[in-house]
Amino acid sequence: MSGNTIGGPETDGDAPSGAILSTEGLTKQFGPLTAIDDVSIEIPDGGITAIIGPNGAGKTTLFNTFTGKHAPTEGRIEFDGQRIGGVEPYEIVRRGIVRSFQITNFFSSLTALENVRLAAQARYTGFGPADFLTHHASHEEPIADAERVLERVGLDGVATETASSLAYGQRRHLEVAIALASEPRLLLMDEPTAGMSPEETNETVELIEDIASDTTVVIIEHDMDIVMDISDQIAVLNEGKLLTQGTPSEVQSDERVQEAYLRGGGHE
Amino acid sequence: MMPVFELLRDDDEARTGNQILSRPGRILLAVGILGLAAAGPIAGSIQPFWVNLLVRMLAFALLALSLDFVFGYAGLLSFGHAAMYGAGGYTAALLVGQVTPNALVVLPASVLVGVVVAALIGWLSVRARGIYFAMLTLAFAQLLYVVVFTDLPATIAGAETVTGGDNGLYGIGSYELAGVGFGDPLAYYFLTLALVALSLAGLIRLANSPFGRVIQGVRENEDRIEFIGYNVQRYKVIAFAISGGFAGLAGGLYVPFQSVANPGLLHWTVSGELVVMVLLGGMGTLWGPMVGAGLVVFLEDRLGGVASWEVILGTLFVLVVIFAPRGIAGALISLRDDPSGAVDSVKEALKNYVREVRD
Repeated sequence: MSGNTIGGPETDGDAPSGAILSTEGLTKQFGPLTAIDDVSIEIPDGGITAIIGPNGAGKTTLFNTFTGKHAPTEGRIEFDGQRIGGVEPYEIVRRGIVRSFQITNFFSSLTALENVRLAAQARYTGFGPADFLTHHASHEEPIADAERVLERVGLDGVATETASSLAYGQRRHLEVAIALASEPRLLLMDEPTAGMSPEETNETVELIEDIASDTTVVIIEHDMDIVMDISDQIAVLNEGKLLTQGTPSEVQSDERVQEAYLRGGGHE
Repeated sequence: MMPVFELLRDDDEARTGNQILSRPGRILLAVGILGLAAAGPIAGSIQPFWVNLLVRMLAFALLALSLDFVFGYAGLLSFGHAAMYGAGGYTAALLVGQVTPNALVVLPASVLVGVVVAALIGWLSVRARGIYFAMLTLAFAQLLYVVVFTDLPATIAGAETVTGGDNGLYGIGSYELAGVGFGDPLAYYFLTLALVALSLAGLIRLANSPFGRVIQGVRENEDRIEFIGYNVQRYKVIAFAISGGFAGLAGGLYVPFQSVANPGLLHWTVSGELVVMVLLGGMGTLWGPMVGAGLVVFLEDRLGGVASWEVILGTLFVLVVIFAPRGIAGALISLRDDPSGAVDSVKEALKNYVREVRD
């Protein structure tokens, strides 16, 4: 699916092998503020990469440039060998980059199943006659996909409940389920364990590891125990710049990282 | 009427929930349409004028239905639906007057013109949201009003008159279909009822289609729908264009029946009254706004002479907003769910209102 080139720029042959997503000199400015400053990063294909850094380091902005919410001011982003800077968000989802949100951001008056089905439907629907004239429930594939995803995140028991009536932990799982229903090749998760109890956090960590078995995962996470535990790669951002990137043990022993965290007031 | 029943019967029961209109609701709807079919001849035998009123009620019900599809269902607050209504109406007036009275030609043309006008206005407006979208649609509709009022097409084409300027077009004949004339009000009533019923069935089908589900998602959470892979702008423009087609049809039904098309059709007060009809009826239910529109047209006709109509409509609107914030449809639904709680909920609504006014 990511091979389609509708409106897409030419393929660049020089993408480093092994990286599913890479940026080169990526810069994003909001007026006088430089949120991301000349970041060149490589996200390896497969496994879990964590992006960490003090508040205001530019982590969420980096996600927003990956998903097409913000076009880069300078530099380039390549996904699977294709440039995606300036591509519309819905098109980026179709190519395989999907994000989940830090704050719960779904369709609160719809059922859990319908939330996920709607996301799954995007892969099947278009603007043909059948998309207007048939009943949505007569299309089996999106429903089957949605049911499978709900089971994977452990929400199959509450599929017909309204999303707004779910418990906090369930909502966060639904958030992930919606993203999974798009069948991403690269899943970006913004603070997936924020505000969770220890049990909920454990469940979520298990879920992330399960997802990582077949999908490349990038997480923004403040909990260092989780980061050190599950990440294969860690990228450290500070004041919009990439401080360093490496394995957990490399990053842990990096003095610049410790310094940045001390100056930045540490993590929450 | 058979196709209507076919369309109304939906066997794909809502595993996914949130279905527009449950099965009992659809049966009630079919009964209502049959009731209206019977009401025409009965009303006509008592007083021919009543048929005239029923046709106007149906035309506005269709117009309110078209607005609810974008406003209540897709969350696009259009304050310019008079544009498509008027465009459809003038299309019918010009075609019937100068080309052919064949309903099979004229009515599709009205629909098409409604679609084109709406697509254009929608395309220019959908990037704005909420109140800004409303203001843009209002501005475009007023622009079209001025174009018709000053007969700009005649000036451009160098013709003597096209839209008839502020006088409008009058003496418009009625439709013909396969040699049958619709000059008789009762025949026209049946034509209108059949088309309104088909439109409702069609929009219910659309609302439950994969497309309809996406625009409902747009209403619920516009930001998220884009991040699950939908081109939000395109969905909005298409929804708006579809709605415009039905508004054009309403104009195409109204004008030949009244045999007059005047710029007032396009005036912003029509759009405004339409929004009131939708809110009164209960937005997002499709059938509620139709009931609201029928009621408003009926009351305007009956009570218009008693006192200033705006005062009556305003009072009615305020009462509904206080006691039944989800409109007539919302009130009926909660009455069905909990018949004994009606008195309590009225008290509760009053209490809430007083509290909010005090704060």
